[in-house]
Amino acid sequence: MATAISTGDNATPRRGKIADFVRRNPTIVVGGTLMSLIALAALFAPLIAGDPLSFQPINRLKGPSAEFLLGTDSLGRDVFARMVYGARISLLVGLSVAAISIVAGLFVGLTAGYFPRLDTFVMRLMDGIMAIPAILLAIALVSLMGASVRVVIIAISIPEIPRVTRLVRSVVLSVRELPYVDAARSNGTRAFKILRRHILPSTIPPLIVQATYVSASAILTEAGLSFLGAGTPPEFPTWGNMIAQSRLYLSIAPWTIFAPGICLALVVLAVNLLGDGLRDHLDPRLARRM
Amino acid sequence: MKTTRRNLLKGGLAAATTATMVGYGPKSARAQRRNEARYVPHADLRVLDPIWTTANISAYHGAMIYDTLFGIDANLNPQPQMVGQYNLSDDRKTHTFVLRDGLRWDDNTPVTSADCVASMLRWKARDGAGQHMWQRVTDLSAVDEKTFKLVLREPYGLVLEALAKTSTPLCYIMKKEIAETDPNTQITRHIGCGPFKFVESEYRPGTRVVYEKNPNYVPRSEPASGIAGGKRVHLDRVIWDIMPDAQTAASALMAGEVEFYEVPPIDIVPALQAAPGVKIEVLSALGNVGYCRLNHLHPPFNNVLIRRAAQLAVNQEDFLRAAIGNPQYYRVCGSHFTCGSPMGVEDGSEMLNQPMPARQARARELLREGGYNNMPVVVLHATDIPVMNQAAQVIAQNLRQIGMNVILASSDWGGVVTRRSVKDPPVVSGNSTTGGWNIFFTWGGGNSTASPINLFAHAATGQNAWFGWPENALNEQLRNEWAAAPDLATRRAVAQRLNRNMFEYVHDIKTGQWFGPAAYRSDRLRGVLPVPEIGPPWWNIERIG
Amino acid sequence: MMAYIVRRLLATIPVMAIVGIFVFMLLHLSPGDPAAIIAGDNATEANVAAIRARLGLDRPLYEQFVSWVWQTVRGDLGVSMFSNLPVTTLVMQRAEPTIALALTTLFVAITIAVTLGVLAAWRAGTLVDRVVMGFAVMGFSVPVFVVGYMLVYVFAIQLRWVPVQGYQSIFDGIGPWLHRLILPSVALGLAYVALIARITRASMLEVLAEDYIRTANAKGVGTGRMLLRHALKNAAVPIVTVIGIGVALLISGVVITESVFNLPGVGRLVVDAIARRDYPIIQGVMILFAGVYVLVNLTVDIAYTFLDPRIRY
Repeated sequence: MATAISTGDNATPRRGKIADFVRRNPTIVVGGTLMSLIALAALFAPLIAGDPLSFQPINRLKGPSAEFLLGTDSLGRDVFARMVYGARISLLVGLSVAAISIVAGLFVGLTAGYFPRLDTFVMRLMDGIMAIPAILLAIALVSLMGASVRVVIIAISIPEIPRVTRLVRSVVLSVRELPYVDAARSNGTRAFKILRRHILPSTIPPLIVQATYVSASAILTEAGLSFLGAGTPPEFPTWGNMIAQSRLYLSIAPWTIFAPGICLALVVLAVNLLGDGLRDHLDPRLARRM
Repeated sequence: MKTTRRNLLKGGLAAATTATMVGYGPKSARAQRRNEARYVPHADLRVLDPIWTTANISAYHGAMIYDTLFGIDANLNPQPQMVGQYNLSDDRKTHTFVLRDGLRWDDNTPVTSADCVASMLRWKARDGAGQHMWQRVTDLSAVDEKTFKLVLREPYGLVLEALAKTSTPLCYIMKKEIAETDPNTQITRHIGCGPFKFVESEYRPGTRVVYEKNPNYVPRSEPASGIAGGKRVHLDRVIWDIMPDAQTAASALMAGEVEFYEVPPIDIVPALQAAPGVKIEVLSALGNVGYCRLNHLHPPFNNVLIRRAAQLAVNQEDFLRAAIGNPQYYRVCGSHFTCGSPMGVEDGSEMLNQPMPARQARARELLREGGYNNMPVVVLHATDIPVMNQAAQVIAQNLRQIGMNVILASSDWGGVVTRRSVKDPPVVSGNSTTGGWNIFFTWGGGNSTASPINLFAHAATGQNAWFGWPENALNEQLRNEWAAAPDLATRRAVAQRLNRNMFEYVHDIKTGQWFGPAAYRSDRLRGVLPVPEIGPPWWNIERIG
Repeated sequence: MMAYIVRRLLATIPVMAIVGIFVFMLLHLSPGDPAAIIAGDNATEANVAAIRARLGLDRPLYEQFVSWVWQTVRGDLGVSMFSNLPVTTLVMQRAEPTIALALTTLFVAITIAVTLGVLAAWRAGTLVDRVVMGFAVMGFSVPVFVVGYMLVYVFAIQLRWVPVQGYQSIFDGIGPWLHRLILPSVALGLAYVALIARITRASMLEVLAEDYIRTANAKGVGTGRMLLRHALKNAAVPIVTVIGIGVALLISGVVITESVFNLPGVGRLVVDAIARRDYPIIQGVMILFAGVYVLVNLTVDIAYTFLDPRIRY
């Protein structure tokens, strides 16, 4: 990250620098721009679009028009408005799941990697969670605990935790035996301090990359859950919900499915591009492998 | 045939239409050779015991393989079915039934009066109407092999109606040793006395259910009518193909992969109508009636003024338009007992004729008078059943329009069914809710809701009533009066008072009546009869193409 | 080698135990009442309570747990609360479509992905490479049900080349069977194609840079032969790994794809069972899926030793 983003006192003119960055990191730029646009739309949704919730049954399944840019759905709600507001939920889910699973995975991974006595038990537990199909676990959690954004976020986070844990643990294992960590340990430095000072920093770059992939997959899973009727409540304008509630109208009103479908693909594409770019940047070793 | 098909496929899926034919060819060709019909019912058949569960689909299964003592004809009158002779004593207290000749189980043993007695006992343990009747029953016993009698303490006008009722559970007659199964345990053997036999070896829950003609069944001599009369079977086999996705089922019907689609969503009816060979027909004259239950135990709906406000605010037209769509297939109805039925009186529902703005203004006034303090109203929202999904959202919007604070508690139907039995008040924190509820929506078949007694939901016995637990002494007094009424005219007069009273204390809120048409291949099937409920009757239907 | 396999097999026991405890607790500690669903809409509360008692759902939790574990350990997955049929029977009835879908998807995905990956690596840095890799990122990003509906809209509704939905048993003939599986496997395979193509390209690039390939090249071994014989064989390890990882992805995808195309498979069985709170089916299928996942990963690890003699355990 340091090389490309920290600009400042370098001699080359600023514009050349930006051009250089763009040329060398096209994926970050494309992904980042796309992401910013979507984030802006989500942020300023009330200015761009009408009311995503209220409906007029009399206007149901109308085609695109001046009043309803993308037509209306089966309850007579504005598809365009729901699409714009849908970005909010997708981004919220993506960010929250990434945050929760990274924090939890970091904690568990550090513990497992640094304290060999806990390692076997913790990693078996993680293997167990990983073995349960993520989507079924999420469906079960949501159907049993009731549909709400909070439950959906938790349900999607749980299966991500073992993946983060494994990543963190592998970093810890490789760092722990390095001479300077060893030295600190023999100095009698407390475990917590060693973890914080010496080990934590080296987990950050791969975790940033991992976070983007987790967000992308969380957004997809949220949509998949909504699609199966086990996601956020249907009243909420989410893209998965929009698709799920319109599946009957595929042949009569295809726009009700394709508009949110394209948005969904674009957001995930943007996050993935961002992730690929960051990976190339932060973790050249991994980048070469991929 | 097979090689040709594969060659065509290899040939790059030549002409569009040909390829389609290819895909669908083998199945339909086979179906044509066989004298059978394929049917897409409204739900998957999971439970094979129509007494143990009150799910409609299990009652459909019951109608295939069992028979009832009496059946409802097309004019909604009970007619003898398994019973040959029926006699009511002069004091109107002793009912004597004699089974008609030739009744046999599909394992070839004769049907006896002992079978009927055991079946009636098991049924009444699970059925509201049965229990209402049994409050007066002093004896039910077999007289001889074919005769049994039912003795009541006082005259009761609804004995035949209860035995012929089409609201679940129906009084299906099962073999004695099977009927002696505890009513709360599912039966494990499926020996029928009905027009069809259940083919257990081909039963695939979630995929298909197969029935074949019961060779032992002797139909009555009169023509079939409703779910009564001569159930003559012309088909060798009837196959239920379970298709949870409507788009899928519609395509299958158009392509001739199935012959009968029970409840196509009305939005795709135009597409089906345009398809060659497909006929769209409303088979149930009484259709379905939607209603939302209010929780009478807790605020705000323990207050009649607030209930009245909600009743004014819920716009049947909004619900019907959103959930059903085409006005040709629905009507606004002001009766608790199904418009179009003998009891379909609309007394007390005058407010339905007022324009919405006036109703909403009055509702806001009522909320003020009732002291509504913006307390959250928890609406249980089943998301996996389309009509229910739309209904909850419409009701929420309607109530929000008069200024109520509505929270939708979304879950699948399984979640709603579980939660609606919770009698505690709902607990709200932020956007999430736990505990009980304030409103949920459901619907019933029009013939079920038409009877003040048969439908348990019409009872207003407080803690003992159906979910929502309404309590109203006058309602109960009138229901008993209705049950004891000697003739139709008197009953109708009682129903008028009942309906007016139910609107006044707001028993529940009706959301309108709709008539979902069935879609079937009229180029292949002939003789599809209208049914009041629990259908279609696969007897009388012939395969012609 | 043998010792390694035994050790790995033993390690699956605690994993499966954790899966079992987790799934059981998840179901039984959350609200949800199969008895209420069985009883149906017109039932009274007394009916529901009686059914609950009959199903043994009012017994103490530890008692239910112990009897379930005992039963599962003996290989009995229990009986559906609704249809009264053994869970194993229900799964067997539904296994064919799921296995067929998984296999055709794997076949479609691996064929396309390896071709694309090799192509991209061979032409690394060119437009071909960029297009292929761009396509790979796209494949990751489009949800399977969106792809599914787009394919259905174009090929089934507009062009009418293939049926909209459904499954036909392979025993009714290969033609109709394939005809109905084409769209689902392509839809499901896309994400998989992306994953495998990227890995294939990366490992090919690594191998192509090795000395012996250069030697082979210098000796004049034909490009095509060289790519296939030498490079691909040596790039197989990471590719197989990814296929292993992808099984989890595949299981999730199967659940959604079965729903889009109305395939009566195990995925739909369990989704339906969750909606009905049919505990024995949910528990059984989850255990089964977890078992498959663990076994596939075990197989993949063992396959390493054959593909890459350098790996020893």
